[in-house]
Amino acid sequence: MDDITDGLTEVSCDILVIGGGTAGPMAAYKAKRRNPQARVVLLEKANVKRSGAIAMGMDGLNNAVVPGYATPEQYTKEITIANDGICDQAPVFKYASRCFDIIQELDSFGIRFQKTENGDYDVKKVHHLGTYVLPMPNGDTVKRALYRQLRREQILISNRYMATRLLTGRDGEIAGAIAVNTRTAEFLVLRAKAVILCAGAAGRLGLPQSGYLWGTYENATNSGDGYAMAYHAGAGLANLECYQINPLIKDYNGPACAYVAGPFGAYTTNSEGRRFIECDYWSGQMMQEFYSELQSGKGPVFLKLNHLHSDTIGKIEAILHTVERPSRGRFHENRGTDYRERMVEMHISEIGFCSGHSASGVFVDEFARTTVTGLYAAGDMASVPHNYMLGAFTNGAVAGEHAAEFAAGRDLPDYDPSDVEQERARVLAPTRRDDGIPPNQIEYKARRMVNDYLQPPKVTAKMKLGQERLAEVREDLEGAMVARDAHELLRSLEVASILDCADMAAAASLFRTESRWGLYHYRVDHPEKNDADWFCHSILRKQDGRMMLEKRPVAPYIVPIEDEERSAYDRQRIRESA
Amino acid sequence: MSEPFEAFGDVEDLAADLASPDATVRRLAVMALAETSDWQAVPHLVAAIADAAPEVREQAARALGEFDGRAVGEALARAVTDSVAAVAAAAAESLAELRDADAGGALLALVAHPSPFVRTAILRGLKALQIEASLQPAITALSDVEPAVRVQAVGVIGYLKRQETLPALIGAARDGSAEVRLAAVKALSFADQSAEAAAAVSAALKDAAWEVRAAAAETLGRLGVSSASPALVAALADELWQVRQKALQNLGRLRAREALPAIIALLGDDNPSLRKDAAAALGEIADPASREALATRAQDADPDVRKTVAWALGRL
Amino acid sequence: MIASASAKAPNEEARLPIAYTPTTLPVVVDEAKCIADKGCTVCVDVCPLDVLRISDLTGKAYMKYDECWYCMPCETDCPTGAVTVNIPYLLR
Ligand SMILES: Cc1cc2nc3c(=O)[nH]c(=O)nc-3n(C[C@H](O)[C@H](O)[C@H](O)COP(=O)(O)OP(=O)(O)OC[C@H]3O[C@@H](n4cnc5c(N)ncnc54)[C@H](O)[C@@H]3O)c2cc1C
Ligand code: SF4
Ligand code: SF4
Repeated sequence: MDDITDGLTEVSCDILVIGGGTAGPMAAYKAKRRNPQARVVLLEKANVKRSGAIAMGMDGLNNAVVPGYATPEQYTKEITIANDGICDQAPVFKYASRCFDIIQELDSFGIRFQKTENGDYDVKKVHHLGTYVLPMPNGDTVKRALYRQLRREQILISNRYMATRLLTGRDGEIAGAIAVNTRTAEFLVLRAKAVILCAGAAGRLGLPQSGYLWGTYENATNSGDGYAMAYHAGAGLANLECYQINPLIKDYNGPACAYVAGPFGAYTTNSEGRRFIECDYWSGQMMQEFYSELQSGKGPVFLKLNHLHSDTIGKIEAILHTVERPSRGRFHENRGTDYRERMVEMHISEIGFCSGHSASGVFVDEFARTTVTGLYAAGDMASVPHNYMLGAFTNGAVAGEHAAEFAAGRDLPDYDPSDVEQERARVLAPTRRDDGIPPNQIEYKARRMVNDYLQPPKVTAKMKLGQERLAEVREDLEGAMVARDAHELLRSLEVASILDCADMAAAASLFRTESRWGLYHYRVDHPEKNDADWFCHSILRKQDGRMMLEKRPVAPYIVPIEDEERSAYDRQRIRESA
Repeated sequence: MSEPFEAFGDVEDLAADLASPDATVRRLAVMALAETSDWQAVPHLVAAIADAAPEVREQAARALGEFDGRAVGEALARAVTDSVAAVAAAAAESLAELRDADAGGALLALVAHPSPFVRTAILRGLKALQIEASLQPAITALSDVEPAVRVQAVGVIGYLKRQETLPALIGAARDGSAEVRLAAVKALSFADQSAEAAAAVSAALKDAAWEVRAAAAETLGRLGVSSASPALVAALADELWQVRQKALQNLGRLRAREALPAIIALLGDDNPSLRKDAAAALGEIADPASREALATRAQDADPDVRKTVAWALGRL
Repeated sequence: MIASASAKAPNEEARLPIAYTPTTLPVVVDEAKCIADKGCTVCVDVCPLDVLRISDLTGKAYMKYDECWYCMPCETDCPTGAVTVNIPYLLR
């Protein structure tokens, strides 16, 4: 294993799904259900059995719109407000209307949600605005249940293949993808009538404070390949300046997790043990408040549980230490932290791209279609804001169904063989060198530059310098990176995606000359929100080989937001900056 | 070139390894069979439940959790009585995964098994199946000697949500074991507007166990019986703030006007979580009489309290 | 896989030679419990970062690359309880 082997195979299918984490399995499943005759391939860089953000399950659905607890209108309104109004509501509303069906379907797969003693879903109220949290204390079996369904539907699963580039046809429509085996370096050319990108967040963009490349908030396999592939295929990417930043257990860099402990009565405090968060919505505004408190004399920030009853803490531990990021328990044990006695020190994460928690990503409409014909995207990498896990499942389903219908009436497009040749040359370049810079060093440097120059507070002059530094790293990557086995080759391909994402982050951040989304896009030299010029999406795309940006109007709202509701939110901001 | 798609092997080929003299090889064969997710693997896995080596039986018990149906239920029912604890435990977990009502028969046959572990696991399995036939056995099991069994029996009954089970559940709300009382108090939530249920649950507000008291407050909110308000008002003086908090929340839910003075008093509590929930309850009740009291907290030191006060004032 | 590491050893005219810097590995396998020699590859299969391998020398699983998300599928899914995931030193 791991020896570099020469080889290339070509296969054809109707629908190709790239990424078998959360959205991907659902997309493949729904595509096959919609058209059982279709050949559906699910391609995964790791192994579908335990891949993606939900490798060990999740402790709950953060955004379940369950009848009787919340309505699609209410949810759409809250998401719109939380995103400072920059939100195409149609996909959000569609998600909110469909997600309860998906919950029931997941339940029928054997994925267990918390039920009351009467067998109903035990939806938790977190605050008076809306009730959306549905715990899944035994969520560690999510992937096993999904995998079983995929097997039964006879989806063709390709594990340990990393997609590196999309193939397009004569008119720029999608024609398939190129992938590389992560253990042999052999190539796989997949021709397809429709492709669904579900490759997750760009989680290895910033460098965690620990300095450990793999100590990321996101599953560290998610190196932003989906964004890079979409970009190179000409698709538009929306609002990439709206970063993801999350409050996490310091050093451990995983969630604490407020959604689990919150309903039990835990909360975030400053070092005086007082609450300080003014904002009602999980948003950049909230992160701004978190950041300010950390920087102030009242930091550090903590998650406070020590006021809870010992029995309650026992229950919280049972969840936090078995699902999602189960090694949390081990981390606390090493440091002698007992939730009963000490508050848990919190910090903010490195930056990333992820619509699971913010609003950026490959631009999609309410059918999960990107701006490239035949190319779909779902989950953390698609632009539907505040997706979380249920959004990945639901929008994956939307994409799978639509793609199945799209593919049914189509011939397999031809691709240009020279594209494959070019890609082979690019991929294999680091294997042609006898010496050079290994990918881990290139990655470390690129990500450190991201921290130094691109992380908020964003300063124009710094970001421009950052672009220069990143260009130098790119020269090293293209001219001197070396990969000695297939595994290092995988890493070297990932660094290329990371660097593409860093360039996109810088360009998008410089484009929007205002501040919006709280900390996510706080520009020191343009500190105010400017609705007159910037109440729009920013769309980044590759045109004639170059990165370009343009404005795109926000689609007219289908759920109107009263001025009063919007201004109530703005008042909170003013109080904060005062 | 390695084959680009996962191959899972032929079920019969994989099953051949179940005849190996090496238990580890047999165990790996069980794992491979489970992996196929192929229903054809079921008879082989069922056979492996009778393997001589406990680790193979344990693996088979776990593997059967991936499947469903009568044969699976029967095999798991056998495995849950295994003398090796790890095998029985794996079977118990898998039993809880069954969804096919056809599996019920095999489970029902064991509800009176001598081992309390088996009885608990069986009732837990029956709970999710939600079949009528388990109602009577569950009611009988409410007098089981073992509290864990009684807890699961309450679950079976609670999931079925039948009006005629109210007396049984009300009885369980007075059980000797706090766990059972807790389950019963929660299970009574379905009895919307039932005065008898409300009376029993009100009594549970004085339970010795704090979690039962907290759950009782919650259930009273769900039942929506307004005559329960005085009991909830009394619970505002509970020794534990967690119970006081639940009482506040559910007085809000009941829109209990008569609770206003007691709730207003809690607006000045030292605990910010209670101040917040007091404000929220006043917002739910939405009686203009609380305006002045709410206004005094508009500048509370805690942002959650301030926000909730603003929200509540907006509702008056 | 040992062979592959040396297949491209830095040559003598190397302008950018590569060091072998030591690092402590977070994941430990109890060889007495591991049944990889009988055909098990579960931990290698499930690891999202693909950092575990079966050793040609011992026939047992081991961690080959220090690139771990401390996510635990390897430990959870191992049928014999042979794997222990420790928190990587830098963030411990
Ligand atoms: C630690 C953590 C905790 C969270 N907690 C919650 C929670 O409690 N509740 C909630 O609702 N949400 C939660 N979320 C968010 C939620 O899990 C995600 O939004 C959702 O799972 C994303 O799904 P996805 O399919 O987009 O990405 P993923 O599930 O990450 O899947 C992406 C997949 O693509 C594969 N891939 C990547 N690149 C390539 C490539 N080049 N070729 C082939 N395959 C590739 C990856 O290996 C991966 O399997 C959490 C997220 C994290 C990281
Ligand atoms: S899963 Fe366990 S038994 Fe199997 S190879 Fe890994 S360590 Fe060995
Ligand atoms: S903890 Fe996760 S990343 Fe680390 S070796 Fe195990 S499976 Fe792989």
